[in-house]
Amino acid sequence: MSDKGLHTKGLTVRYGGLVANDSVTIDVDPGTVVGLIGPNGAGKTTFVDAVTGFTASAGEILLDGTRIDALPPHERRTAGLSRTWQSGELFGNLSVAENLLVAARAGGWRTLVRDIFVPRRKVSDDVVSRALEVVGLADVADTLARDLTLGQQKLVGVARALAGGAEVLLLDEPAAGLDSMESRAFAARVRSIADSGPGILLIDHDMSLVLGVCDVVTVLEFGKQIFTGTPAEARTDPTVVAAYLGAPVEASHA
Amino acid sequence: MGTFLQFVVLGLGLGSIYIGLGTGLLLVHRATGIINFAQGAMAMWGAYVFAQLRVDGTLVFPIGSIEFARRPPIEVAALIGILTAFVLGLVVHYLVFRPVRHAPVLAQVVVSVAVMITIQALVVLRFGPNNIDVASILPEGSISVLGTDLPTREIIMAAIMVVLAAAVWAYLRFTRAGVATRAASENERAAVLMGFSPDRLAAVAQVVAVVLGTISVMLGSSLTGLNPDNYTLLVVPALAVLLVARMESIAVVVVAALLLGAFQSVIGLLVTKSWWPVWAQSGLDQVIPFAVVMVILFVQGKRLPSRGSLQTIRLPDVSIPKLKPVPAVILLVLGVAALSFTQGTWRFGVTTSIIVMLLALSYVVLTGYLGQISLAQGAFAGAAGFALSKMTSAWGVPFPLSLILSALVATALGMLVALPAFRIRGAQLAIITIAAALAIERFVFNNYTLSPPEGNPIADATLFGLNLGVREGRDLARISFSVMVLVIAAILVWVFIRVASGDTGRTFLAVRANERAAASSGIDVRKTKLIGFAISAFIAGIAGCLIGFSRGQLSAESFTVFAGLQVLAVAYLGGITSVGGAIVAGVLGPLGIVYTLLRGVFDLGEYYALISGLGLIITAILNPVGIAGATREQVAWVRRRLSRSGPPPSTVPDAPAPKEPSRV
Repeated sequence: MSDKGLHTKGLTVRYGGLVANDSVTIDVDPGTVVGLIGPNGAGKTTFVDAVTGFTASAGEILLDGTRIDALPPHERRTAGLSRTWQSGELFGNLSVAENLLVAARAGGWRTLVRDIFVPRRKVSDDVVSRALEVVGLADVADTLARDLTLGQQKLVGVARALAGGAEVLLLDEPAAGLDSMESRAFAARVRSIADSGPGILLIDHDMSLVLGVCDVVTVLEFGKQIFTGTPAEARTDPTVVAAYLGAPVEASHA
Repeated sequence: MGTFLQFVVLGLGLGSIYIGLGTGLLLVHRATGIINFAQGAMAMWGAYVFAQLRVDGTLVFPIGSIEFARRPPIEVAALIGILTAFVLGLVVHYLVFRPVRHAPVLAQVVVSVAVMITIQALVVLRFGPNNIDVASILPEGSISVLGTDLPTREIIMAAIMVVLAAAVWAYLRFTRAGVATRAASENERAAVLMGFSPDRLAAVAQVVAVVLGTISVMLGSSLTGLNPDNYTLLVVPALAVLLVARMESIAVVVVAALLLGAFQSVIGLLVTKSWWPVWAQSGLDQVIPFAVVMVILFVQGKRLPSRGSLQTIRLPDVSIPKLKPVPAVILLVLGVAALSFTQGTWRFGVTTSIIVMLLALSYVVLTGYLGQISLAQGAFAGAAGFALSKMTSAWGVPFPLSLILSALVATALGMLVALPAFRIRGAQLAIITIAAALAIERFVFNNYTLSPPEGNPIADATLFGLNLGVREGRDLARISFSVMVLVIAAILVWVFIRVASGDTGRTFLAVRANERAAASSGIDVRKTKLIGFAISAFIAGIAGCLIGFSRGQLSAESFTVFAGLQVLAVAYLGGITSVGGAIVAGVLGPLGIVYTLLRGVFDLGEYYALISGLGLIITAILNPVGIAGATREQVAWVRRRLSRSGPPPSTVPDAPAPKEPSRV
């Protein structure tokens, strides 16, 4: 484990009396893919919300060795922590390319002045096309985001998270909505993104995707971390199998 | 102590009206999710009918009237007033609110503002703009408490309204229909499952709300007389009361309403004291509701319930503008031509249209691009106008600098009003901005220590020895002034297009579409809103200065809340998401080209406010993209048809007017 990447220590989220994340400690090192799995309601999305600043939490969150738990969400993003949303959450009225440009070029007073006096429009188009190529959607750049299928929207979400640079990517069910062929292609893409540098936290219900692509798997159940280890260990660990693995794997073969 | 107690009791009269309006607002919000800015105006109509019957025995309808030979007895007049309210509630519900029940929040806010403008204008037309006396249903009297004579009328009024509010509470609490109404506010299907039509429940709520409000105004206005502006705007303190009650508790509405009424009355007593600072004598009663709303929103912020869980404001689509030289030049030439071929009142009308276009553009920035609802644009313009008066006549600041500095004053004010937008959005933001606008109008513009009643003169602009003044001798609108307005407007439109098509515009649209996703993409949502309010207020401020230059002097009447709302009406009517819409809005706007036509050619000037209100209602219901948006959709539709079938240009499709599905 290095200082680089994302590290949480004892991350805890409470909703009233409910403990949605109970002291979760996860390390996402650069270049690795960490799977976060667990049954519905286990607290996976809550974990992503807490790490990215959309839910109040206790405990430490470190990005490249710096505490970021006091920062607002947009500053965590600019620090290099990037996420996607389970429900896509694209800017529906913007084109795919513009969705990516939003992430690549933040606004602000200086941007305003530049817009007025030195408008520059096409400079970072390569940022957009590169990010779209990574997810294999180069041909939809000019489509309105809301006209895409849900599966495509999620991939655009991944591209948007990549645009503008990211140290760590948190992907919340990015492959839901893809068929098994597309899912396999997506696994290869996740792998190649990680190989190019960033660490990735991957949440998904597709076990063959998660176990196939991840270096490390963490299992949540009722907000508690019940297992962390390699995919091979996860397959055979009795607590994991009992809690979760058995049923969905069978279901996906059915 | 005795006087103090007397004033507290006197304030109960106003408090009773707040109970009536506040309970009605709550009921309608529970049943439909709509915050009805027209509650005051709607409650006023029945009371006016009642009052007019007692003044001269005339029963006034929106169109036509019946004159009774003898004035009907007070009970009959009151009954007719209440019956009128009943019908008004039904009509407004089925014709206006029902069609927008699933519409975006902006359309709902705009529709209720439109109803407010319409009824207010209709009252002015049918009953006149001045105060009229209202017969008292309750007997006058007084009781002696602790050696002080207290008026009984106010106490009885308050008691009646408390009982009526309690009845509404019991309806919501104990009857199946009431429970279904409350359920419908969470989930309409729940009401259906209980065997009720949510629509019927909403109609009942609307009618009860209007009747309740009308009774309270009929009772309360006997103390002060009825006045179209004041009673329409009583909705603002009532909205403050609604927020204090977190839009849920009728008990809190009642208590807060009485406290607010009493407090305003006592303030009225205190400002007459010799130790009270002179500069703070005016409009303090309107500052209090605003302060209350601010505190409530900051303390409770996100916990205020809004209907449904994730209610985002969905707005008409925006097409990102491009600076096209040819249309730009054509427009400029058209503008210059319109100015050079007209003179006098006509040229003044064209010039005013250009200025109103800028005001509408300030809405395009803030509402069209950023998705924030502001009802305070008139106040921004006014602040800049008054600053301009000080700068040109008191301090002698030279022309372009005075214009820019004054607009920056508006910008600062806009950024201040942006602060609440950090925590709230949608209809609640509309509430706070209208409260702010009213507070600024009454506390600043009407404040004689800041703005003397004899007027705020504005010195004519000169640039490099060129006289840019509006008047000279008998020339009401000099061409050099009009061209200056056109040039300034062109510069602002050009700046707007650069901003809207640049990174900033994209950030605005992202925030408008989805604040969470914007934050997760690295956008500072708060700063973005601050920038949006700043740009919008700057544009509105420039417009305010130009209005000032065009009049030569300003008074509080130049920038009333209603004038601001009327500009919102035409901005929405024209199309709130584009420059084209702003231009249409300018043509339609108050004192603009269409107004000059109505007045000069058709002699219908007095109907202008009514027509713009009705036009807005129809637009908000049927055509949320506005006139410019609809034109654009139709042009796109025709183009698609032409390019698909590739017919010769002579066979323009003779299909009926294309009805593109407006995505809202």
